[in-house]
Amino acid sequence: MANPAPNPLNASWPSTVWHGLQPYAAGMVLAVILHFTLPGMVGPYYSRIVIDAGIAMILAVSLNIVNGLTGQFSIGHAGFMTVGGYSAGMLTYYGSLWLWDAPEKHGGFLGSGEWLLAGSCLAGGLVAAGMGYVVGLPSLRLRGDYLAIVTLGFGEILRVVLQQTGKVLEDPEALHAASWSDLLCPPAVGGAIGFSGIPKYTNLFWVYAFVTFTVVAAYRIKYSSIGRGMIAVREDEIAAQAMGVNIARQKVLAFVLAAFFAGTAGGLFAHESGVIISPKYAGFQRSFDYVIMTVLGGRGSISGVMLAAVLLTSLPELLRDFDQYRLIVFAVLLVGMMLLRPQGLFGIHEIWEFFPRHRASPRRPPA
Amino acid sequence: MMDSAASATPLLQVEEIGISFGGLKAVQQFSLRLPKAGLFGLIGPNGAGKTTVFNLLTGVYRPDAGRMHIEQLNLVGRRPHEIVAAGIARTFQNIRLFPNLSVLDNVRLAGQLRNSHGLAATLLRTRRSREQEETLRHQALELLAIFDLQDRAAELAHGLSYGHQRRLEIVRALATHPQVLLLDEPAAGLNPQEKRALATCIREIRDRFQLSILLIEHDMGLVMDICERIVVLDHGVTICEGTPEQVQNDPSVIAAYLGCVTG
Repeated sequence: MANPAPNPLNASWPSTVWHGLQPYAAGMVLAVILHFTLPGMVGPYYSRIVIDAGIAMILAVSLNIVNGLTGQFSIGHAGFMTVGGYSAGMLTYYGSLWLWDAPEKHGGFLGSGEWLLAGSCLAGGLVAAGMGYVVGLPSLRLRGDYLAIVTLGFGEILRVVLQQTGKVLEDPEALHAASWSDLLCPPAVGGAIGFSGIPKYTNLFWVYAFVTFTVVAAYRIKYSSIGRGMIAVREDEIAAQAMGVNIARQKVLAFVLAAFFAGTAGGLFAHESGVIISPKYAGFQRSFDYVIMTVLGGRGSISGVMLAAVLLTSLPELLRDFDQYRLIVFAVLLVGMMLLRPQGLFGIHEIWEFFPRHRASPRRPPA
Repeated sequence: MMDSAASATPLLQVEEIGISFGGLKAVQQFSLRLPKAGLFGLIGPNGAGKTTVFNLLTGVYRPDAGRMHIEQLNLVGRRPHEIVAAGIARTFQNIRLFPNLSVLDNVRLAGQLRNSHGLAATLLRTRRSREQEETLRHQALELLAIFDLQDRAAELAHGLSYGHQRRLEIVRALATHPQVLLLDEPAAGLNPQEKRALATCIREIRDRFQLSILLIEHDMGLVMDICERIVVLDHGVTICEGTPEQVQNDPSVIAAYLGCVTG
C-alpha cells in the first residue's frame, strides 16, 4: 500500500477494493430501481410474489453450495432459515421495543428501522452459520442418505424445540424489567403459535440487496479455488484429498456458508408482511421445497437454481385456482424432470455456457 | 552408479512400515530409501500389497508400525492433504480424475493447495486473490502445454480418450509441485506405442522436474527399462530389492511370479 508497485492487474488498493465491490454495488442499484418502479407497474400482489421469489432464490442458491457444489445431501435447509428468522426477529422486535418503546416500523426507506433489519438479518445469518457448523460436523463421517437423515432430524428437532419457547414480552416495561435469562432461557419467541409482532420491514430493496449479496458471493465462490475444492469433493473425495484438498474443511465450510445465507433469508422472511414465523417452517416440507429447486435447477448451476426458485415460487401463485394441487404439480414436475432431464434444467452448467463462445475457450472467471 | 544412488541421503525414507486389516497382514516391514531424482519400481504379483504401500505413503491408511520421513519431516499420522503439501503426489490405478471438471480445472485444483487467500479475499475478489488465481491458471496451462494437452484445456475430463486421461492424471499430480511422484500402474491399458512414449515421458519428468519417482507396474519391459532399482513384494513382504538385473535373476522373484520353487 505504501508503494503501489506497477501491477498488470491493478494499480492502488482503493481501486482494487472498488473493483471487488462493483458487482455488489450494481446489484444494489438494481434493487433500488426495482423497489421504486415495480410496485407502481404491477401492483402490491405481484410485488409480493417477487419478494417471495427473491427469498426463495437466496435459499435455493445457498442450499446449492452444499447440495450442488459440494455434493452433500442436506434436507434441513429450512431449519437454518428458521433459526435465522427467529434470531433476526428477536433482535428487531426487542430492539425496537427497547429503542423506540414500540415494536412498530420506525423510519422510512433506508431509515434507522431498516438498518436494524439489515443488521438483524446478518446476525441471524451468523447464528444460523453456527448451527451450520454443528450440523456440518456429521458430514465428515456420514454421506448420502445417512447425512440426509441427520439434516432432516436437525429441522425436526428445531421445530419441536421452538414449540417449547416462552411467551413474547409485549410492552417495554416488561422488557426493561426482564433479565437476560427471562428473555433467552427459554427464548421469548411465542412457542407453538409463532412469533407475532415482528415489525414488517422487508421490502423489495432489502430482499434484492441480499439476493445480490448471496448470488455474487456464490458465483465468486464457485469460480474460485474454494469452489473448485468443493466440486472436487463432490466428484471424488479420494482423488480430492490426494490432490491436497482438505475435505473436512471444505464440507464444513459449505455447510456454514449455506446456513449463513439461509439465516439472512430467514430474517427477511420473518419481517415480511403477512408472515408470522412459527416452528412449522423449520419442518421438512419447506426444506423439500428448496431441495426441489436445486434439483430442478441443476446441481451447482447458480443461474439454473435461481430460475427454478422463481418458477416454483410463482407457479403456485399464478395457478391460484389449483392451489391445493401444488404438491401434485411439484411431484409431477419432479418425476417429469427425472425422466426428461435428470441433470436438472441446466445440468452443471450456467445459463451463459450454452452460448457457443464459452464452450470454445477455457473458462475464465470475469474480473 | 546404482550403489551410489542407494547410499546417498534419501529424500523419502521409509522404515519397516506395516499394516494389518483384521488378521490379514497386508504389508509387513516395508522399507524404502528413495534418493532425490531416483526412479524406483515396485512390482509383485496381484494382491501383493503394492497399492497398499501407496495408500500408506499417502496417508489413506495409517501404518500400524514403522516410520516414514520426507526430508526429516515425519509423515506417519498425517492426513492425505497434508502429505500432498509435504511433497508426495500420486496417480491412481483406476483413473480418478474429476470427470465433470474441465481439464484445466483438474490441473488448477491440484495447484491451488499453495494458495494463501481465504474466504474473505474470495468474496471481495481482492487483488491478491486475482493474482493468485491468474498465476494458477498460467501455471496450469504451461504444465498442460508441456504434456501436449493445452488444446484440450476447456474440455471436460471425462471426454478425453483413455490415453489422454492417463496423461492428465500425471499432469494433475505434477501440479501439486511434488518432490516424490507415485505412479500406480501408469501403463495399464495403453498400447505398445503408448507404453514406449510413456517410458520416455517418465524419464523426462524425472529429469525436468528433478523429482523422485516410485512406479508400480506390471509391464516388466517398462519397469526393467526405466527403473534404477526395483523392490519386489509378495504377500505384503519385500522378497527382493536391487537393480533390474539382480531382480530378474533372483530365484525368489521367479518363484513368486511363476509359482514354482527353484534353487
